[in-house]
Amino acid sequence: MRGRIRKREQDPWIVSRIRILQWIGLGLFLLLLGRLYWLQVVKYEYFRTLSENNRIRIRVVRAPRGVILDRRGVPIAETQGSFDLIATPVDIQDLAGGLRLLGEVVEFDPEEISGKIILEKKTNPFRGLTVARDLRFEQVSVIEFNRESLPGFSIMVEAKRSYPFGPEFAHILGYVGEASEQEIAAARGERLSMGDIVGKYGLEKTMGDVLRGVNGGRQVEVDAAGRDKRLVDEIAPRTGGTIQTTIDAELQKVAFQEMEKRAGSVIAMNPKTGDILAFVSTPAFDPNAFSRGIRKEEWTALVEDPRKPMQNKGLQGTYAPGSTVKPFLALTALEEGVMNPKATVFCGGSFRLGNRVFRCWKEKGHGTVDMYRAIVQSCDVYFYTLGSRLDPDRVASLERDAGLGVPTGVGLPGEKSGLVPDTAWKRVVMKDRWYAADSVLLGIGQGAIHVTPIGMLSGYAAIATGGEVMRPRLVSRVVRMDGTVEEFPPREQRKLPWKPENVEFIRHALAGVVNDYGTGGAARLPGIEVGGKTGTAQLVTVKGKMIKSEHLPYEIRDHAWFAGFAPVADPEICVIAMIEHGGHGGSAAAPVVKAVMQEYFRLKQVAGKGGGR
Amino acid sequence: MSAPQRFARVDWPVFLLALVLCGVGLLNVYSGTRVFSSSGIPLFYRQLVWILLGAGFFFFFSFLGPGVIEEMAWRIFIAVVALLLVVLLVGKVRGGAQRWLSLGFFNFQPSELAKIALVLVLGSFFSEMYNYGGIGLRDLMPAVAITLVPFLLVAMQPDLGTAGVFLLILAAMMVIACVRGKVFLLAGVMGAAAVPGLWFLMKDYQKQRVLTFLDPGRDPLGAGYHVIQSKIAVGSGGFLGKGYLHGTQGSLRFLPEQHTDFAFAVFSEEWGFVGSVVLLLLFLALVSRMAYLASRSQDRFASFACGGIASYFLAHILINIAMVCGLFPVVGIPLPFVSYGGSSMLTNMMALGILANLSRTRFTFPPAETRPLSV
Repeated sequence: MRGRIRKREQDPWIVSRIRILQWIGLGLFLLLLGRLYWLQVVKYEYFRTLSENNRIRIRVVRAPRGVILDRRGVPIAETQGSFDLIATPVDIQDLAGGLRLLGEVVEFDPEEISGKIILEKKTNPFRGLTVARDLRFEQVSVIEFNRESLPGFSIMVEAKRSYPFGPEFAHILGYVGEASEQEIAAARGERLSMGDIVGKYGLEKTMGDVLRGVNGGRQVEVDAAGRDKRLVDEIAPRTGGTIQTTIDAELQKVAFQEMEKRAGSVIAMNPKTGDILAFVSTPAFDPNAFSRGIRKEEWTALVEDPRKPMQNKGLQGTYAPGSTVKPFLALTALEEGVMNPKATVFCGGSFRLGNRVFRCWKEKGHGTVDMYRAIVQSCDVYFYTLGSRLDPDRVASLERDAGLGVPTGVGLPGEKSGLVPDTAWKRVVMKDRWYAADSVLLGIGQGAIHVTPIGMLSGYAAIATGGEVMRPRLVSRVVRMDGTVEEFPPREQRKLPWKPENVEFIRHALAGVVNDYGTGGAARLPGIEVGGKTGTAQLVTVKGKMIKSEHLPYEIRDHAWFAGFAPVADPEICVIAMIEHGGHGGSAAAPVVKAVMQEYFRLKQVAGKGGGR
Repeated sequence: MSAPQRFARVDWPVFLLALVLCGVGLLNVYSGTRVFSSSGIPLFYRQLVWILLGAGFFFFFSFLGPGVIEEMAWRIFIAVVALLLVVLLVGKVRGGAQRWLSLGFFNFQPSELAKIALVLVLGSFFSEMYNYGGIGLRDLMPAVAITLVPFLLVAMQPDLGTAGVFLLILAAMMVIACVRGKVFLLAGVMGAAAVPGLWFLMKDYQKQRVLTFLDPGRDPLGAGYHVIQSKIAVGSGGFLGKGYLHGTQGSLRFLPEQHTDFAFAVFSEEWGFVGSVVLLLLFLALVSRMAYLASRSQDRFASFACGGIASYFLAHILINIAMVCGLFPVVGIPLPFVSYGGSSMLTNMMALGILANLSRTRFTFPPAETRPLSV
């Protein structure tokens, strides 16, 4: 084949270079042959034994989730050890029998578990999967005692999410659970495998990528009964990152105690920074129940409870604001120059529009009131008048700017915006024109308007700061798994061009509500000037009669609101309380706000004294 | 040229060696997948179809006229780079990486094709640059730039294993194209210096990612577990093997990739050391034949491209078997002709066809003014 002439025509340098590669390749081939000789001839006995018994098992060591701290560094979500029941599909000899035996001691869904085991037997037979979590000591001892008759099942110590404050932080922290198939599929590059724990709700969900660690694992050699005999290899898990929240656990505790027996929400915020100091929604649930694996009947009870414990009422519940909107109307009137604050309106107990009569909450009427008195006494007739004189679009625009009817972006899942109606909404959505009666009702926060408590809080914080709308902040600092620190400084969302004297007037009037024989006297604090506004959102009207809310059945009782801030001169805390079917704002909601503020200033004083230490 | 003439001029040793390897692979796919109850056409038949289609590709490319492949090199490369971009944008995600283009009937992996395209383009570039003093550093830079394009696109999928093959191809072709020895020295020093420098600049989580890429054995639950099981499979095969269809590790489905990347483990368990040696010798013969064809050619482009293709096969064979034997981190590199897979079979057959085509250039004598003989 290789004639002389052709050979001379080739480039000898290229040929020699190709020769070099050939030698390198040959060397590597020989290396592989050597390796094969080592594996297949020298170590044959060792691998044959392993192969015959298929004795390498894999034990997942689940990574502990990162810690969540309150503003002082108190852990509000942490990790504890728990005894879990693990099944290794390949070692199970009698699946139905084993599950029946275990079913006598441990609670689980036998159908679901056996389905999983059968599935995993095909794909990952050497890998353990969790049957039940957080077993009690008696259960563990019974299972350990019967090990011989339960091949393939074993007890392992695993990391369990634990919430030391139980239901107190339920709606902030949320809860965790096993990753669903969709979540595993959606994880893409992130390693997420069956049985991994992920956040399902609250911060656990929204901050899930920070909190989740990296699983470790052990490869163990087991004996014929599936018991661990020798550790072949181990990789330690990595704990997830830490999250520092702005919540004050002590304030949260008081807020929760105040609300424990009722349904509704209390939120406390620093209006200057937007820091959420307390955030309670009740009724709550115990997130610990989800960590150990919630039972079906527990779940059904939670979902079917008419008071909706799984709903975060602070940002998923929307309610008619009632009289709490009055300061915003007054402010619109001042900003637009529609009403002189000194101008008076006579309240005789009702307001007439055509042939419709709108009643004041005070049957006998307030007599002659100016703007200050009208806010302090929450006179409905004054605000019916104001509502009918103001351009509804101007009112809506000011309310939205302040934060009502728009999501605040606090960073918890499922935040609703609520609705602040204007003429465009009426025209486009309701396909109807704006009637004078709409304006009148708007004056007292009834009608189509409905807002979330956090939206209302944002509005009062804007009044407290004089138009500086801060984004509510729950997370102040994140330390990721690798040690990188991320700070989340306070963020101003917008600065509203309100005239300082107008806001000052409103603040003064709100101080009057609490301190000048107004409707919010129950929120008064000794030594600190509190300002605020009551609200009572009517659900039903009973024709021609004034019925005290307390005398109505629970489901149709009025919602009680109170929004307040203190100290009025330089507000540093702003609190909203919304109590579903609580009755009057002044009697039901104001005391809750008072209790939270009192605790806030007490804690501040304690810290001030402690500061000298 | 008549059909018999064309067939007479095909490089039969290369093709027959490939067919034998395909046969081995086919038997192995059957053994590795017979316990699967996968829906649709069994993988055995699918692989058979890929082999037949592949043979078609082989003849198509080996029958192309002289000079056509060199002319097409750049266009193929640009098309493949476009495909890689498409994959990044709309590719199918499987196992956390975006590597596949769904064509309905099968998922095509353009990164396989990119390796061949790179070989052709580098071959074309180096044959222009070649001089008797050896290619210097400045002349080499465009080649590095060319290689970085598919390298980065594939690394972003992310598939660092395949991306690494691009660098190996570049390195091998630098050797063949007579890049100056000093340049290799410099590249070696720079590479050695860059690694700790990069390492120092990277953030902790990036390091973790790179480590997991380079050594998925760090994840004892996934890839690391596969390697242990794969070593058990190979080792328990012993000297003579457990016999065809008698492999136990394989039938217990210890590996989800046992018919693709870990095919050699199934083979080695059933055929033992003897079978493995025979398979290695077949591969050695294939690569040697390719190297022979490369060094025999008088056309520089043909020499370089054939050498590149030989290096491509060599890299795949060595990396895959080393990985199965636990000598190399787990990367998604299939064993040519033996692993199941359409993209890889078609690409390999195409590469072989191109090699057969180019190796023929020594018989053709194009007009002197267009193709001067190198003397």
